[in-house]
Amino acid sequence: MFGYVRPLIPELKVRELERFRAMYCGMCHELRRSYGPEARLILNYDFVFLAMLLSDGTAPNEYELRRCPVSPVKKRCVCKTCGSLTKSAGYSVILTYRKLCDTEKDGGFFERLGAAAAKAGLHGAYKKAASQWPEFDAGVTRGLGRLDALEKSGEASIDRPADTFAGLLSSACDDRVRRELMYHLGRVIYVADAWDDLEEDLKTGSYNPIVRRFGVTEAPASDEVREAVGRTLRLSASAMMADFELLPKTYWEPILRNIIFEGIPDMIEKILIGEWNTAEKPLKERYDERPV
Amino acid sequence: MNDPYSVLGVSPDASDADIKKAYRELARKYHPDNYAGNPLADLAEEKMKAINEAYDEVTKMRSSGQSYTQSRGASQDYRQDSSTGYAAVRAAISRGDLDTAESMLRGVSSPGAEWHYLMGLIAYKRGWFDEASRYFTTATSIDPYNEEYRRACDAVVRTDYPYRTSTYGTPVRSEPDFCDICTRLMCINLMCRCI
Repeated sequence: MFGYVRPLIPELKVRELERFRAMYCGMCHELRRSYGPEARLILNYDFVFLAMLLSDGTAPNEYELRRCPVSPVKKRCVCKTCGSLTKSAGYSVILTYRKLCDTEKDGGFFERLGAAAAKAGLHGAYKKAASQWPEFDAGVTRGLGRLDALEKSGEASIDRPADTFAGLLSSACDDRVRRELMYHLGRVIYVADAWDDLEEDLKTGSYNPIVRRFGVTEAPASDEVREAVGRTLRLSASAMMADFELLPKTYWEPILRNIIFEGIPDMIEKILIGEWNTAEKPLKERYDERPV
Repeated sequence: MNDPYSVLGVSPDASDADIKKAYRELARKYHPDNYAGNPLADLAEEKMKAINEAYDEVTKMRSSGQSYTQSRGASQDYRQDSSTGYAAVRAAISRGDLDTAESMLRGVSSPGAEWHYLMGLIAYKRGWFDEASRYFTTATSIDPYNEEYRRACDAVVRTDYPYRTSTYGTPVRSEPDFCDICTRLMCINLMCRCI
């Protein structure tokens, strides 16, 4: 579910990559500062994207040099705390905690055990975040509850469960344009995750909207199903691009543009052919065999 | 009104060709066709208006007496003539009142091509592209000669990204051939002077 929203690093300028890393580190420090060291474990790219999207204005962020436990030798350049980082960190705690609640209810035995343990670790952090952003917490609980009900009823549609998840994500924003953008991002994440989990869900018999919608019986799915899923993913990705053009330019615009116009399409194409998160390929296969 | 040069994203001493190029790129980006069925279409229309006005002002300032008329592409989607009584549904969709439009359609007993097309339109505006494509496909299969349904179908069966202009396409496998090897040897020669 997490980790699909990334920049296409080869297409980033070096300074943009450095700024992105600083934001990523900034999120880690923000999680530790506000929610304790265990909260750092929930760090992911998706909420770094949200932090950049929520930020307003063209003024450059402020940076500072800090030490990192993961790479302790050299100090790293880290984004100083700011409104959008705080908000995004809080939202990520709430969403992760609520998702763990979900897994704790229905999942395999070891999954439930793991979820219960992780939930216990995050409990204090969650209480703090939920008290600061109660409407988001309420929205997430409602949305995940609706999603759960749809899944239990075996809903044979991609759009309806995707809509529930997408609506929950879009509630993280206040203005029309960002809400639309996050809605379609939610759709992309939900459908991509469903496609990625196809094989595993078929084995365990868990609910999968693609399986129900197209009557898939074996993985990998047929070319027709892949085409149909690809079309719906690309349409949502294109909607994200159209919506992004309506946002005023902010300091993070180039990186957001890379993620939306390059990162997401690259992820979609790779996921469809089953090459997402596979082992790193040699240079030739990574760059040279793609049409320029 | 804002500075027209900054709206177009060019400096005040840019050449006429540059201004025209900037205008064309912006017009292509914010053209209503790109926002057909998008709930944010009104914002895009405002942007398009601002761009057109800025371009008109710049051309007026630069050449005396010359008037420039540019076709203002207005969204044609919901102006199609409907003689079958679905006019109220179309009006609701245009307003953005999708729930009302859907409940009006649910009451229909024998759904024809136009019913499927309008259900598809509602789904598309909600962002439910999978359902939209099912409805549009059904509409065109019932009434294959209707331009409106065909255009809607084309919009959802496209397999590309309308906005993307990057260098990264679908991963492609190819075997190295002798041209590659020769080229690489020449490059090594140039750069390393070791051959």
